[in-house]
Amino acid sequence: MLEIENLAAGYGEALVLRDFSCRIAPGKVTALMGRNGMGKTTLMKTIMGLIRVKSGRIMFDGTAIEKLPTHHISRIGMGYVPQGREIFADFTVAENLRLSLLGHEGGNVLPIEQIYDWFPILKERAEQRAGTFSGGQQQILAIARALIGGPKMLLLDEPTEGIQPSIVHDIGAQLSRIARETGLSILIVEQNVDMVRTLADEVLFMENGAIQERCDIETLRQDDSLLHRYLSV
Amino acid sequence: MRNNLIALLVFAVLAASPVAIGGYWTGQLTAYLVYGLLAMSLSLVWGYGGILCFGQAMFFGIGGYIMAVLTKGMILPELTSSYLGLIAAMAGSALFALALGYFLFAGRGISGAYLAIITLAMALVLERLMNNWYALGGYNGLLNVPPIKLNFFGASFELWDRMPTFYAVLAVVALVYFLVTWLLSSAYGLRLTAIRTHPDRLASLGYNVLTIRLSVFALSAAIAGLAGAIFVTLDGFASPTLIGFTLSTEALIWVAIGGKEMLLAAFLGAILTRTAESWLSEIFGDYWILILGIAFMISVVLLPKGLLATPLEKLTGSKRKKTR
Repeated sequence: MLEIENLAAGYGEALVLRDFSCRIAPGKVTALMGRNGMGKTTLMKTIMGLIRVKSGRIMFDGTAIEKLPTHHISRIGMGYVPQGREIFADFTVAENLRLSLLGHEGGNVLPIEQIYDWFPILKERAEQRAGTFSGGQQQILAIARALIGGPKMLLLDEPTEGIQPSIVHDIGAQLSRIARETGLSILIVEQNVDMVRTLADEVLFMENGAIQERCDIETLRQDDSLLHRYLSV
Repeated sequence: MRNNLIALLVFAVLAASPVAIGGYWTGQLTAYLVYGLLAMSLSLVWGYGGILCFGQAMFFGIGGYIMAVLTKGMILPELTSSYLGLIAAMAGSALFALALGYFLFAGRGISGAYLAIITLAMALVLERLMNNWYALGGYNGLLNVPPIKLNFFGASFELWDRMPTFYAVLAVVALVYFLVTWLLSSAYGLRLTAIRTHPDRLASLGYNVLTIRLSVFALSAAIAGLAGAIFVTLDGFASPTLIGFTLSTEALIWVAIGGKEMLLAAFLGAILTRTAESWLSEIFGDYWILILGIAFMISVVLLPKGLLATPLEKLTGSKRKKTR
């Protein structure tokens, strides 16, 4: 689904990702874990074309995307839920969704009913200003906004950041269901171990701009030494 | 809806005003309407599009010169149709905006104060250019630009007398106002609001930010070009002052005083400031500029939404979406 080879990217002269390679399987939920500052968000932004690639290759569903502009990457099926959610606070819920629909006009968009079916709260509060939502509700909106464009793959950057635990679990369970039902591939950057255990099929551990270890979720459930090695400070 | 009612009321009052103000002021008001059109174009690109263009008069002047050159028959003596002139003026301004906008917005793009400075510099450059372009009149400008000649169904009519000219201009201004208002209430308006508040968030939703920016820049330029084209036919005169620094800044002040985020407020800002200018400058002479400056500062510091937009918003009960 997503193949990254020898990727180098960063901010100006400072490279954050050096010689980064990995493969993300289709139809799977892959979690990317690692301490702060290890390049996880940089990787997400680089895949989305928000940070320019210095060298290397990113293949998405058979297309080389490392030189494409962001809107193009979005339109060929890469959904992105950025860190901090970045919804439009002064738009209503419905307007936020409509904006995303318009951006993917002519593409493989999902009917709004499908979104409301997955996330009933968005239907109940369609006319509410998104800025008045709680963090968790905004996160749901941000995810719905990415899903409505009918992506083949969803990039989620720390979706549980600043969200109360009960909603974290709901979001995880719902995303897991959606991924199973639709065959959506998900790459999620996450520090919340519960979320990863609820959602992920496979876990990648990242350190110093490169993948150091990968394991499936069963291994992680039985043995959390990897978590200690790559997450504890 | 209420917004449109207020606008209708404003245009109705304007339509009735010649009865009360007499011939001379009707002539003045016609010119103010055209300035109002320029103000609307700036409000569209600045208040709605989030592009602070400090050289809006560029497009006004380009439109004016194209209209003058064409209708005077300087390009093709047999092709002096006013309609063609108006269309060419709008298209020429829009094309210039597309070319300029591409350099400004492509890639990482320029924004904020840098954008303002570059557009201001462009206006200065164009003013210098027109001052020295002798084929186009140079410093003296182009004289004897013919009035607009309307042809319909074989009959033709020249907009020479004050009253018909006033109503024709008012009709054009009202038409542009309602068309732009309609456009802003459509999906395009939603896109513009989004791009003004968070341009960085739109690309990952599938939007080409450059295209949207260019479209609003070009549309605003076309409206300014139309205003310029009408303006040169009123006095029959196109000069380098139409294209340059002073008019650009004045337009900015009208729009800031009126309210950049409300088309109607920006429009009225131009008309009221110009009206106040002609009254107050008679009483206070050059000191009137001080009064304008104070009004500008009050508007920026106390009522950043604009002196007119704030009460108008109360009246319409509409609240525009703000940056967060």
